[in-house]
Amino acid sequence: MEALIPATRLDDGAVTASTPAARDTGIPGNRAIWVGIFAEMTEFALMFLVYFIARAHHPGAFHQGPAKLWTLAGILNTLIMLTSSFLVAGAVHAVRADRQRPALIWLGLALVTGLGYPLMKVLEFRWNLAQGLTGQGDVFQLAYYYLTFNHLVHVSWGLLGMVWVLARLATGAYTADNHRGLIAFASYWHATDLIWLMIFPLFYVLP
Amino acid sequence: MKPSLRTLTLTWLLLLVLTLAGAGLGDGASPGLGLTLIVATITALKGGMVIEEFLEVGGATPGIRYPVRIFGLLVPLCMVLVYLYGSQIAQFTRLAGE
Repeated sequence: MEALIPATRLDDGAVTASTPAARDTGIPGNRAIWVGIFAEMTEFALMFLVYFIARAHHPGAFHQGPAKLWTLAGILNTLIMLTSSFLVAGAVHAVRADRQRPALIWLGLALVTGLGYPLMKVLEFRWNLAQGLTGQGDVFQLAYYYLTFNHLVHVSWGLLGMVWVLARLATGAYTADNHRGLIAFASYWHATDLIWLMIFPLFYVLP
Repeated sequence: MKPSLRTLTLTWLLLLVLTLAGAGLGDGASPGLGLTLIVATITALKGGMVIEEFLEVGGATPGIRYPVRIFGLLVPLCMVLVYLYGSQIAQFTRLAGE
């Protein structure tokens, strides 16, 4: 019955509340993805807690820490995460307006941009090793590797998720009326972006 | 209220500007309250923009909206607290026998 309700669009392409897609459950995507996102946030909140306790105990190591790192790599990874997140938001916007082809382009660009993140991480870790910056070093280095490597793992399976939603989008699975899977993925990707925005100043900026 | 493409684009550009503006702040700088407050504020602003415009928690149920907003403030708040009360926090979290 719901599928028979015609979608009415506003000028900017947003779908009105009369459509099933816009009927708000208050849960972006689905419950399962939010269980995952809250698990991710809890995990990183605990790691941030450990970081701050370590920082309180060893202020000298954390004061000198950012100067040891390749700042440009941190900046580029931040720009990559922000841009990829924006492109995913653009894909969601296009799907809400039932514009499948632009949505595919948005999401394809998000994937290409997002792949830059692990690539930059590889280059950064290689640079670190050339400078003798290993996980065997001081408490700053230990915290840096622990948090950034963990984040890389989260980005990596986010990229796998992006490949999946891209394939679903390409096969016409998402419409203005039904795109919860895409919203679920987008929520995870934005949350992973948010976590990087917290990690970046802790290791690359704050002396 | 879903963000328009214009809002999303402006948010992204502002996030890039804040990232580039804040990136060089710590370069060779000494720790200080002013610097810590600036870095914490930029971090909170960027986090807030991602939470509100990209994650769209404004339209989400309170069970999602408030925990995510609190998460976005956690790190900036701890930056300031550890700067101001670092030695007390270290004392409080010292293990017995240390």
